[in-house]
Amino acid sequence: MGDEIKQTVMAYMRKDIITNLLDKEERLDGRKFDEYRPVEVHKGVITTAEGSGLAKVGETMVLVAAKFDVVTPFPDRPTEGVFIMNSELLPLASPTFETGPPREDSIELARTVDRAIRSSEAIDIDSFFVEEGKVLGLFMDIYVLNYAGNYTDAATLAAAAALIDTKKPKVENAAIVRGEYSGPLNPKAIPVSTTFMKIGKEWILDPLREEEAVADTRITIATTETHVCAIQKGQGSVTKDELLNNIDIAFKKGSELRKILL
Amino acid sequence: MGGLKDVKLIVDGKRLDGRTAEDLRKIRMQVGIVPEADGSAFIEWGGNKIICGVYGPRECIPKHEANPYKAVIKCRYMMSPFASLEEHGRSGPSRRSTELSKVIKEVFENLILAEEFPNTQIEVYIDVLQADGGTRTASIAVAAVALANAGIPMKDMVSAVAVGKGGDELIVDLGKLEDNFGQSDMPLAISAKDKRLLLVQMDGLLTKEEIGKILDMAERSAAKVSKIQMDVLRNHYAKDESEGFKL
Amino acid sequence: MNERKIVVPGEKIADSAIRIPGAYMEGGATYAALVGLLDEDGKYIPLESRYRPMLDDVVVGMITDARHAGYSVDLLLPKEGFIPARMLRITLQLGDFVVAKIRKIERSGMAELGEVRRLPKGKIIEFPSAKIPRLIGKKSSMLDILRTNAGGDIVVGNNGYVWMSEKCDIPLLMKAIDLIRSKAHKPGLTDAITKFFEQHKR
Repeated sequence: MGDEIKQTVMAYMRKDIITNLLDKEERLDGRKFDEYRPVEVHKGVITTAEGSGLAKVGETMVLVAAKFDVVTPFPDRPTEGVFIMNSELLPLASPTFETGPPREDSIELARTVDRAIRSSEAIDIDSFFVEEGKVLGLFMDIYVLNYAGNYTDAATLAAAAALIDTKKPKVENAAIVRGEYSGPLNPKAIPVSTTFMKIGKEWILDPLREEEAVADTRITIATTETHVCAIQKGQGSVTKDELLNNIDIAFKKGSELRKILL
Repeated sequence: MGGLKDVKLIVDGKRLDGRTAEDLRKIRMQVGIVPEADGSAFIEWGGNKIICGVYGPRECIPKHEANPYKAVIKCRYMMSPFASLEEHGRSGPSRRSTELSKVIKEVFENLILAEEFPNTQIEVYIDVLQADGGTRTASIAVAAVALANAGIPMKDMVSAVAVGKGGDELIVDLGKLEDNFGQSDMPLAISAKDKRLLLVQMDGLLTKEEIGKILDMAERSAAKVSKIQMDVLRNHYAKDESEGFKL
Repeated sequence: MNERKIVVPGEKIADSAIRIPGAYMEGGATYAALVGLLDEDGKYIPLESRYRPMLDDVVVGMITDARHAGYSVDLLLPKEGFIPARMLRITLQLGDFVVAKIRKIERSGMAELGEVRRLPKGKIIEFPSAKIPRLIGKKSSMLDILRTNAGGDIVVGNNGYVWMSEKCDIPLLMKAIDLIRSKAHKPGLTDAITKFFEQHKR
């Protein structure tokens, strides 16, 4: 609790410093407003999972692992596979993360990335049918390993990398044969997200933790090559023009980030 | 744990992965790979991949748990739902992870100079990202390095290894199959300087003579792990650039 | 002990029992309790440590609470510091940065501060405790280099908080401090910093 109060007071006092820099077109780490920190993506890092991705955006590091199980389908969609996304803000990743049940931030992260993947139709969920009453369930876990700001974009990158890396398991007699595969998952689209923050009157991309603490508005826009597939606004408000402008930037940044994935 | 006779753990004098009785699996470690934590380390030991972050001394919360004479050591060992080759696990603590958190904490309670920080807590977070037998001993090995990286004063370093019996042979560093189908599993943590046993657990059936022998084997193996920990720390603090985290 | 080497907790650093910070005595010898450097003369320097408040230490902190009796100060310690109101001639606000001296340390770990001076508008960052002497340098030599090149004042607290004036070139200074953090106990630190500022002259 002490850490949270401190962060709030620090954030309040630090805002001046950050906005002064922004007036001079500078950020704390010398980046331009629309510049990402160095981005690195690795695939196939967890061999016990059917697919995995590790993404680093600056010092922020997020791991996503994908595993399949045979599960019961939803009663209203008996032939459709199941896709479940979970997220953990690991307590080791930041002095501000605590142990205990998932906080609203963690749940929002899972649901935002879930939405991006589901809407993009990356996963052919109809191909997960096994037999009556049984379908494949794809479980993805977002593990934030080091939090230095903007875990959302890092999580989406890691999830996309995991989808590209994932192999569908071999299924025999309605059971998964672990260690054997029927082929790559072959996602039909690669969603990528761009997170924007407004501080004072300036919009910046890929915020540092310190910038997140003083931001008035936060909005994440996920895109495929052709469409917007998810939007999540956090605190604050946007005008219609700001949203449309950010969407343009999201497409541009999205294609840059997508190149790193492939 | 059973001793199932149809899983042959020793074939032609060699273990399933080709090792001899006293061979350790390959171990690779990295230090300081979670910059936000006060100290951190990562270990890849055979097929295990475990990350550890340390915080503290920090304010002890809840306040009623604080000890006016020394720091309270807290440890959270968690298995990721994707860590096993089998099904996707559930999130959150299990009875097993709760027990392991306790015995690992008790290893470090022997070593940390806790009297230097009364009314505080020191937290050790261990997350198993990939499991392949021997996660608790690998966790102890990586946590010791993370604590050193965090500048938490300790009397000694500690290393750990699981010894036991499989296919009627006394062996060290049990892999997953040996753990599941062997005749006995005995995880041990041994302090580097004093060679004291800081973790002792055991299941299965062993005679006293067998235990005497595997304790010696454990000392030899733990010394090898200890050397790896020391080399990793020395290299980390001597090098110019820090290498990127390789999971 | 002729070679400079890195020692880990539990390694012997002296054959007699000597009281050294970061080490402990046992059975007539002294052992490292922290990862440290044992230099050619047998001197032991911890490379990682947690700050332990000492009387008269100069510390930098942030006001986190103002009450009738005084102020709570975040000092990066497990327990917040305290400034008794009667010791101050000025009024402080939530979020103010201060530099002060430790006057008293309670059993609970709470440090009482005196000689409190409010710092002007600026930013504070955390810096590892064991490397603070290198950030300051012999007779503040490193600090002087930083102040000159950053164009503003910098105040270093022994507790690990470093304050920099808003007049400083903050992005440049942050990079320089990062460089010191990574090269702290390695040879060639001063040269590296001088070269850094030469290359980044703006």
